Amino acid sequence: MKYATLYAEDVDIGDELPSLVKGPIQQIQLTRYAGASGDFNPIHQDDEFAKAAGMGGVFAHGMLSMGFVAQALSDWAGAGRVRKLGVRFAALVRLKDVVTCRGRIVGTSSKDDTHLVEVEVWAENQHGEKVVTGHATVALPSRG
Amino acid sequence: MPITLDRAVVGKAFPPYAVTVERGKIKEFARAVGDLNPFYLDDRVGAASEWGDIIAPPTFATTFRDDSLDYTAFLRELGTDISRVLHGEQEFELHQPLQPGRTYLCRAKVVDIYEKTGKSGPMGFVVRETTITDADNEIVGTMRAVTVVRL
Repeated sequence: MKYATLYAEDVDIGDELPSLVKGPIQQIQLTRYAGASGDFNPIHQDDEFAKAAGMGGVFAHGMLSMGFVAQALSDWAGAGRVRKLGVRFAALVRLKDVVTCRGRIVGTSSKDDTHLVEVEVWAENQHGEKVVTGHATVALPSRG
Repeated sequence: MPITLDRAVVGKAFPPYAVTVERGKIKEFARAVGDLNPFYLDDRVGAASEWGDIIAPPTFATTFRDDSLDYTAFLRELGTDISRVLHGEQEFELHQPLQPGRTYLCRAKVVDIYEKTGKSGPMGFVVRETTITDADNEIVGTMRAVTVVRL
Protein backbone atom coordinates (compact mmCIF):
# COMPACT_ATOMS: atom_id res chain seq x y z
CA MET A 1 0.00 0.00 0.00
CA LYS A 2 1.39 3.39 -0.96
CA TYR A 3 2.31 5.68 1.94
CA ALA A 4 2.01 2.82 4.46
CA THR A 5 4.15 3.23 7.61
CA LEU A 6 7.52 1.54 7.31
CA TYR A 7 9.16 0.33 10.53
CA ALA A 8 12.81 -0.24 11.28
CA GLU A 9 12.06 -3.93 11.86
CA ASP A 10 10.77 -4.24 8.28
CA VAL A 11 14.06 -3.53 6.52
CA ASP A 12 17.24 -5.51 5.92
CA ILE A 13 20.59 -4.79 4.32
CA GLY A 14 20.42 -5.67 0.63
CA ASP A 15 16.70 -4.91 0.32
CA GLU A 16 15.80 -2.85 -2.72
CA LEU A 17 13.34 0.04 -2.70
CA PRO A 18 10.34 -0.13 -5.01
CA SER A 19 11.45 1.61 -8.21
CA LEU A 20 9.78 4.89 -9.17
CA VAL A 21 9.36 5.71 -12.87
CA LYS A 22 9.08 9.42 -13.78
CA GLY A 23 8.54 11.08 -17.11
CA PRO A 24 8.79 11.18 -20.07
CA ILE A 25 10.24 14.62 -19.29
CA GLN A 26 8.34 17.42 -21.00
CA GLN A 27 9.32 21.06 -21.40
CA ILE A 28 6.23 22.14 -19.46
CA GLN A 29 7.48 20.26 -16.38
CA LEU A 30 10.83 22.07 -16.58
CA THR A 31 9.01 25.39 -16.84
CA ARG A 32 6.80 24.48 -13.92
CA TYR A 33 9.81 23.36 -11.87
CA ALA A 34 11.61 26.62 -12.68
CA GLY A 35 8.66 28.55 -11.29
CA ALA A 36 8.32 26.38 -8.20
CA SER A 37 12.04 26.29 -7.39
CA GLY A 38 13.06 29.76 -8.52
CA ASP A 39 15.76 28.38 -10.83
CA PHE A 40 15.16 30.25 -14.07
CA ASN A 41 18.46 29.36 -15.74
CA PRO A 42 17.53 29.64 -19.47
CA ILE A 43 19.60 26.50 -20.16
CA HIS A 44 16.52 24.51 -19.02
CA GLN A 45 14.00 26.54 -21.06
CA ASP A 46 15.56 28.04 -24.15
CA ASP A 47 16.86 25.57 -26.72
CA GLU A 48 18.77 28.27 -28.63
CA PHE A 49 20.51 29.41 -25.43
CA ALA A 50 21.39 25.83 -24.46
CA LYS A 51 22.79 25.11 -27.92
CA ALA A 52 24.83 28.34 -27.91
CA ALA A 53 26.20 27.30 -24.50
CA GLY A 54 27.45 24.09 -26.10
CA MET A 55 24.98 21.81 -24.30
CA GLY A 56 23.26 20.54 -27.42
CA GLY A 57 19.81 21.70 -26.30
CA VAL A 58 17.77 22.07 -23.12
CA PHE A 59 18.07 19.58 -20.30
CA ALA A 60 16.29 19.09 -16.99
CA HIS A 61 17.29 20.76 -13.73
CA GLY A 62 19.43 18.34 -11.73
CA MET A 63 17.29 19.32 -8.77
CA LEU A 64 14.20 17.94 -10.51
CA SER A 65 15.85 14.51 -10.76
CA MET A 66 16.91 14.84 -7.13
CA GLY A 67 13.27 15.58 -6.31
CA PHE A 68 12.34 12.31 -8.07
CA VAL A 69 14.88 10.42 -5.93
CA ALA A 70 13.50 12.08 -2.80
CA GLN A 71 10.02 10.99 -3.87
CA ALA A 72 11.18 7.39 -4.30
CA LEU A 73 12.58 7.53 -0.76
CA SER A 74 9.47 9.02 0.83
CA ASP A 75 7.06 6.83 -1.15
CA TRP A 76 8.90 3.94 0.50
CA ALA A 77 9.88 5.25 3.95
CA GLY A 78 7.12 7.80 4.47
CA ALA A 79 7.13 11.59 4.33
CA GLY A 80 9.43 13.36 6.77
CA ARG A 81 11.79 10.40 7.25
CA VAL A 82 14.70 11.53 5.06
CA ARG A 83 17.47 12.93 7.28
CA LYS A 84 20.12 13.23 4.62
CA LEU A 85 20.24 13.01 0.84
CA GLY A 86 23.36 13.67 -1.17
CA VAL A 87 23.65 13.13 -4.90
CA ARG A 88 25.94 13.64 -7.85
CA PHE A 89 24.39 14.59 -11.19
CA ALA A 90 26.15 12.01 -13.36
CA ALA A 91 24.54 12.67 -16.74
CA LEU A 92 22.08 15.11 -18.28
CA VAL A 93 18.36 14.32 -18.40
CA ARG A 94 16.87 15.36 -21.74
CA LEU A 95 13.35 16.01 -22.96
CA LYS A 96 11.42 12.73 -23.50
CA ASP A 97 13.74 10.84 -21.15
CA VAL A 98 12.16 8.42 -18.71
CA VAL A 99 13.86 8.48 -15.31
CA THR A 100 13.69 5.43 -13.04
CA CYS A 101 14.72 5.93 -9.41
CA ARG A 102 16.10 3.00 -7.45
CA GLY A 103 17.68 2.30 -4.10
CA ARG A 104 19.27 -0.43 -2.02
CA ILE A 105 19.76 -0.62 1.74
CA VAL A 106 23.45 -0.72 2.61
CA GLY A 107 23.36 -0.26 6.37
CA THR A 108 21.24 0.00 9.49
CA SER A 109 21.98 1.36 12.94
CA SER A 110 20.09 2.05 16.13
CA LYS A 111 20.97 4.40 18.93
CA ASP A 112 18.52 5.07 21.74
CA ASP A 113 15.16 5.50 19.99
CA THR A 114 16.62 6.49 16.62
CA HIS A 115 16.74 3.86 13.91
CA LEU A 116 18.72 4.93 10.87
CA VAL A 117 18.82 3.22 7.51
CA GLU A 118 21.57 3.96 4.98
CA VAL A 119 20.43 3.73 1.37
CA GLU A 120 22.41 3.79 -1.85
CA VAL A 121 20.22 5.65 -4.35
CA TRP A 122 20.43 6.22 -8.07
CA ALA A 123 18.33 7.16 -11.06
CA GLU A 124 18.79 5.89 -14.59
CA ASN A 125 17.41 6.87 -17.97
CA GLN A 126 15.66 4.62 -20.47
CA HIS A 127 19.06 3.45 -21.77
CA GLY A 128 20.10 2.24 -18.31
CA GLU A 129 22.59 5.09 -17.98
CA LYS A 130 22.88 6.47 -14.45
CA VAL A 131 21.86 10.14 -14.36
CA VAL A 132 21.96 10.50 -10.56
CA THR A 133 24.00 8.59 -7.98
CA GLY A 134 23.94 9.17 -4.27
CA HIS A 135 23.35 8.21 -0.70
CA ALA A 136 20.53 8.78 1.75
CA THR A 137 19.90 8.34 5.45
CA VAL A 138 16.34 7.78 6.63
CA ALA A 139 15.07 7.57 10.21
CA LEU A 140 12.37 4.97 10.79
CA PRO A 141 10.04 4.42 13.75
CA SER A 142 10.18 1.17 15.69
CA ARG A 143 7.32 -1.25 16.33
CA GLY A 144 8.67 -1.60 19.88
CA MET B 1 41.81 30.17 -23.73
CA PRO B 2 40.67 28.52 -20.49
CA ILE B 3 39.39 30.75 -17.73
CA THR B 4 40.61 30.59 -14.15
CA LEU B 5 38.40 30.69 -11.08
CA ASP B 6 39.30 33.23 -8.45
CA ARG B 7 40.23 31.16 -5.40
CA ALA B 8 40.11 34.31 -3.27
CA VAL B 9 36.35 33.71 -3.19
CA VAL B 10 36.87 30.70 -0.84
CA GLY B 11 35.66 31.69 2.62
CA LYS B 12 33.32 34.32 1.26
CA ALA B 13 30.22 34.48 3.43
CA PHE B 14 27.06 35.83 1.89
CA PRO B 15 24.82 38.14 3.92
CA PRO B 16 22.37 36.03 5.99
CA TYR B 17 18.84 36.02 4.64
CA ALA B 18 15.48 35.07 6.12
CA VAL B 19 12.88 32.94 4.37
CA THR B 20 9.30 32.48 5.53
CA VAL B 21 7.85 29.27 4.10
CA GLU B 22 4.51 29.74 2.40
CA ARG B 23 1.98 26.90 2.47
CA GLY B 24 1.15 27.32 -1.21
CA LYS B 25 4.83 27.26 -2.16
CA ILE B 26 5.29 23.81 -0.60
CA LYS B 27 2.32 22.49 -2.57
CA GLU B 28 3.44 24.16 -5.80
CA PHE B 29 6.90 22.62 -5.39
CA ALA B 30 5.60 19.11 -4.64
CA ARG B 31 3.25 19.26 -7.64
CA ALA B 32 6.03 20.52 -9.93
CA VAL B 33 8.07 17.43 -9.01
CA GLY B 34 4.94 15.31 -9.42
CA ASP B 35 5.20 14.12 -5.82
CA LEU B 36 1.60 14.02 -4.63
CA ASN B 37 2.30 12.79 -1.11
CA PRO B 38 -0.67 13.91 1.09
CA PHE B 39 1.72 14.93 3.89
CA TYR B 40 2.88 17.73 1.55
CA LEU B 41 -0.45 18.60 -0.04
CA ASP B 42 -3.37 17.87 2.27
CA ASP B 43 -3.84 20.28 5.19
CA ARG B 44 -6.07 17.82 7.05
CA VAL B 45 -3.54 14.99 6.76
CA GLY B 46 -0.87 17.43 7.94
CA ALA B 47 -2.95 18.59 10.91
CA ALA B 48 -3.45 15.00 12.03
CA SER B 49 0.24 14.11 11.59
CA GLU B 50 3.03 14.05 14.18
CA TRP B 51 4.10 17.50 12.86
CA GLY B 52 0.68 19.13 13.28
CA ASP B 53 0.75 20.60 9.78
CA ILE B 54 1.92 19.77 6.28
CA ILE B 55 5.69 19.40 5.78
CA ALA B 56 7.95 20.21 2.85
CA PRO B 57 9.58 17.55 0.63
CA PRO B 58 13.30 16.81 1.36
CA THR B 59 14.67 19.02 -1.44
CA PHE B 60 12.38 22.00 -0.77
CA ALA B 61 15.19 24.08 0.76
CA THR B 62 16.51 24.55 -2.79
CA THR B 63 13.83 27.27 -3.01
CA PHE B 64 15.57 29.21 -0.20
CA ARG B 65 17.10 31.90 -2.36
CA ASP B 66 18.27 35.35 -1.41
CA ASP B 67 16.19 37.52 -3.72
CA SER B 68 18.50 40.47 -3.08
CA LEU B 69 21.60 38.52 -4.19
CA ASP B 70 22.80 39.14 -7.71
CA TYR B 71 23.88 35.64 -8.73
CA THR B 72 25.23 36.97 -12.04
CA ALA B 73 27.53 39.28 -10.09
CA PHE B 74 28.72 36.33 -7.97
CA LEU B 75 29.55 34.33 -11.10
CA ARG B 76 31.40 37.35 -12.46
CA GLU B 77 33.33 37.60 -9.19
CA LEU B 78 34.31 33.94 -9.67
CA GLY B 79 35.39 34.72 -13.22
CA THR B 80 32.61 32.93 -15.13
CA ASP B 81 28.99 33.27 -16.32
CA ILE B 82 25.69 31.34 -16.30
CA SER B 83 26.24 29.62 -19.65
CA ARG B 84 29.33 27.80 -18.28
CA VAL B 85 27.96 26.46 -15.00
CA LEU B 86 26.29 23.14 -14.20
CA HIS B 87 24.94 21.71 -10.98
CA GLY B 88 27.40 18.95 -10.08
CA GLU B 89 26.38 17.73 -6.66
CA GLN B 90 23.83 18.54 -4.00
CA GLU B 91 23.31 17.43 -0.42
CA PHE B 92 20.61 18.15 2.14
CA GLU B 93 20.84 17.26 5.78
CA LEU B 94 17.61 17.78 7.70
CA HIS B 95 17.13 17.42 11.44
CA GLN B 96 13.42 18.04 11.05
CA PRO B 97 11.07 18.72 8.13
CA LEU B 98 10.54 22.32 7.04
CA GLN B 99 7.01 23.62 7.65
CA PRO B 100 4.72 26.40 6.47
CA GLY B 101 4.51 29.65 8.38
CA ARG B 102 7.98 29.23 9.88
CA THR B 103 10.75 31.71 9.27
CA TYR B 104 14.23 30.31 8.74
CA LEU B 105 17.55 32.09 8.56
CA CYS B 106 20.04 30.99 5.90
CA ARG B 107 23.77 31.55 6.14
CA ALA B 108 25.69 30.61 2.98
CA LYS B 109 29.40 30.60 2.33
CA VAL B 110 31.88 29.35 -0.24
CA VAL B 111 33.84 26.56 1.45
CA ASP B 112 36.03 25.26 -1.37
CA ILE B 113 37.11 25.78 -4.95
CA TYR B 114 39.13 23.18 -6.84
CA GLU B 115 39.86 22.15 -10.40
CA LYS B 116 39.93 18.76 -12.12
CA THR B 117 40.26 17.68 -15.70
CA GLY B 118 37.45 15.40 -16.84
CA LYS B 119 36.60 13.74 -20.13
CA SER B 120 35.14 17.01 -21.43
CA GLY B 121 38.13 19.15 -20.43
CA PRO B 122 39.16 21.24 -17.42
CA MET B 123 36.45 21.87 -14.86
CA GLY B 124 36.24 24.07 -11.79
CA PHE B 125 34.24 23.08 -8.73
CA VAL B 126 32.73 25.65 -6.37
CA VAL B 127 31.40 24.27 -3.08
CA ARG B 128 28.84 26.32 -1.16
CA GLU B 129 27.35 25.44 2.22
CA THR B 130 24.17 26.93 3.63
CA THR B 131 23.16 26.52 7.26
CA ILE B 132 19.45 26.83 8.01
CA THR B 133 18.36 27.84 11.51
CA ASP B 134 14.89 28.30 12.97
CA ALA B 135 13.45 31.13 15.05
CA ASP B 136 15.10 29.63 18.19
CA ASN B 137 18.47 29.70 16.40
CA GLU B 138 18.51 25.88 16.33
CA ILE B 139 20.07 24.34 13.22
CA VAL B 140 17.32 22.52 11.32
CA GLY B 141 19.38 21.66 8.26
CA THR B 142 22.32 22.27 5.99
CA MET B 143 22.66 22.33 2.22
CA ARG B 144 25.84 21.68 0.30
CA ALA B 145 25.95 22.55 -3.41
CA VAL B 146 28.76 21.88 -5.85
CA THR B 147 28.65 24.05 -8.97
CA VAL B 148 30.73 22.81 -11.90
CA VAL B 149 32.25 25.44 -14.15
CA ARG B 150 33.43 24.55 -17.63
CA LEU B 151 36.77 26.32 -17.80
